[in-house]
Amino acid sequence: MTQVLRQIVLLSGKDLRIEARSRQTLGLVAVLGVLIVVVLGLGLGPERVKSGMAATAVLWVAYLFGGVLCFEKTMAVERHDGALAGLMLAPIDRGVIYAGKLLSNLTLMLALALIVTPVAVVMFGFDLSAAPFGFAAIMAGGFVGFAAIGTLFAAAVSSTRSQGGLLAIVVFPVSLPLVIVSTQMMMRLFGEGEPLGAVGLTVLIAFDAVYLVVSWLVFELILEP
Amino acid sequence: MNTVKSKLCMAYWLVTASLFAGAVVMVFVWTPTEQTMGVVQKIFYLHLPVAINTFAACMVTFIASIGYLWQRRQVWDDLAVSSAKVAVLLCSIVLLTGMIWGHSAWGQWWTWSPRLTFSLVLWLLYVAYLVIRPSIESRQRRALVSAVYGVVAFLDVPLVYLSVKLMPDIHPSSIGLAPEMKTTLLFCFLPVTMLAVGLIAARYRLQRAETLSMQEAEDPPLDTIAADPAGGFT
Amino acid sequence: MTDVSAITAESIMPLADAVADTVSPAVRMRGLSKRYDERWVLRDITLDVPTGSYLALLGANGAGKSTLLHTLAMLSPATRGELSLFGESATRPSPTLRARLGMIGHQPMLYRDLSAVENLVFFGKLYGVSRPKQRAIDMLERVGLADRAQSVVKTFSRGMVQRLSIARALMHAPELLLADEPFSGLDVPSVQAVSALLAELHADGKTVILTNHDVRQSLELAQRVVVLGRGRVVSDRPVRDADVDDVTREVIG
Repeated sequence: MTQVLRQIVLLSGKDLRIEARSRQTLGLVAVLGVLIVVVLGLGLGPERVKSGMAATAVLWVAYLFGGVLCFEKTMAVERHDGALAGLMLAPIDRGVIYAGKLLSNLTLMLALALIVTPVAVVMFGFDLSAAPFGFAAIMAGGFVGFAAIGTLFAAAVSSTRSQGGLLAIVVFPVSLPLVIVSTQMMMRLFGEGEPLGAVGLTVLIAFDAVYLVVSWLVFELILEP
Repeated sequence: MNTVKSKLCMAYWLVTASLFAGAVVMVFVWTPTEQTMGVVQKIFYLHLPVAINTFAACMVTFIASIGYLWQRRQVWDDLAVSSAKVAVLLCSIVLLTGMIWGHSAWGQWWTWSPRLTFSLVLWLLYVAYLVIRPSIESRQRRALVSAVYGVVAFLDVPLVYLSVKLMPDIHPSSIGLAPEMKTTLLFCFLPVTMLAVGLIAARYRLQRAETLSMQEAEDPPLDTIAADPAGGFT
Repeated sequence: MTDVSAITAESIMPLADAVADTVSPAVRMRGLSKRYDERWVLRDITLDVPTGSYLALLGANGAGKSTLLHTLAMLSPATRGELSLFGESATRPSPTLRARLGMIGHQPMLYRDLSAVENLVFFGKLYGVSRPKQRAIDMLERVGLADRAQSVVKTFSRGMVQRLSIARALMHAPELLLADEPFSGLDVPSVQAVSALLAELHADGKTVILTNHDVRQSLELAQRVVVLGRGRVVSDRPVRDADVDDVTREVIG
């Protein structure tokens, strides 16, 4: 068990080291996220922006687009020069490769959220202090499920040629349930002031469990050097 | 051999058509008209069987997708895309009939009621499936991505259902049905199911023919399929 | 620290195991077939590759050389037939079996944004090599890249990348080395360096299987040549019985 964990950390640490060196992904994703917040803020106009409720939806849009870029980039690292074949030759389980990628993607998305969320909070006058933990829990639940399918599809779609936009149009429809469930929960949380209960949490965890298990199983079948 | 096959095919469609005719007669002549909704309620005899068959078609895509992931044979992909097309067609009917119903019941063509939203998301899921395919050039890659999508999309269906449940509801959950109504409803399943199966089979045959002609045209050199063609250190 | 491979293979291994290993060949294929779509790219291949031998796989483009090598590397499963490596079935390979195998591919399987030594240390850790850093430095010395250890791979020339790729494949001292076109795109000095490394491994008692385009070169390097054509074994003979023109004719088909 500890060996598996060590392998996952090793794989993900390698991704993050490459990211730290090239600084390609995070810079791109952060600017994109901020741009989305600004564009939607301008598009909605000052009155609707002030209602506060728009913020969570806008944030979701920023996370979705930014996330897809992260998935694309972290997989491209493996496709360049056939490094993925090197991982597949190694004495590690295919599931470990999946988990390592998932961890890298989640870390990048967390970094994205830490940059974009404060911007949206300020610009939309969103009162996060009403339920900071509920907000974090719902977003975390959404991230895990989204990254789970995103990591899977990045492996299926990706080849060394750029497939501009393809990953997005594959991943967005299948993550609709996550978006619906988390926006509905946000509305209850911030709109009606109803705290996130055990039922809500269970639903989120169930969603994540379904996505994680399916992706993990299918990943093994589709991984090709 | 071929003539026997085409005769059987013909017979199948004739039976389906006559069952449809019978169903129409049953719905409009034999079954009593519902009191509050009037004639519009009769759309229900189409709506429900088509909705159930939509799920069935999605399930066929799901199973065929698993088949492809398991065996990597093109036939599975052909079946998956055929039933996905039928699923989209049937789901469109569900959406339309649902909207007509909603219009006469609540006076609005579209409401964000859970069931309508559910049908819409389901429809979007499978329309996306069909739209994505042409944008992937390599046939193997296309089949692979579609298969993964076919699996995840089907498992999404209950999740969508769960998530829309969080929305406020105005849809009729159960309606009291007269015995004749129940009989008619059950009877209506027959022609609709036969139509769905027949459409999938017909679409599958076309798809198969298309793939076979494509395969002959492509005929790639063997080693290039083994490794990703975009190899090499540049 | 001396070469780890020498320690595991010769001095530590008990005699009984050594005998068992000579009994079960490094690679054993029985009716190996592979289908892509509806096309059979490997058909009914039955071959034994004894431990410690040096085999060259020849064949025209599309004969199935790379596919066969990928199958042997357990990167993708065969559709039919049996494959065992060192007497262990390769259908559900154990991690220990994977660790006995190294591969040099068409592509270098390296991360271009990491330095030479970082790449080697990463792969060494994946294989659970003890003291990966020291091992990496030793390997870099062996392939003549010691002075570029800290440079990022994307600054390397094709020949240097190929040598680093060999160092990566040998980090964990594999007993079986698969090399897919290891000479393609290399200049003359690099070709000599790479072929010398392969010969050294063979002299160390390792099993080497390579695919190659160049018939003459293969006959100089290997002990045995197998020609593939349309996914089948066309011919299989020791190098001393092989004539360049005959083999070339078979390769062209």
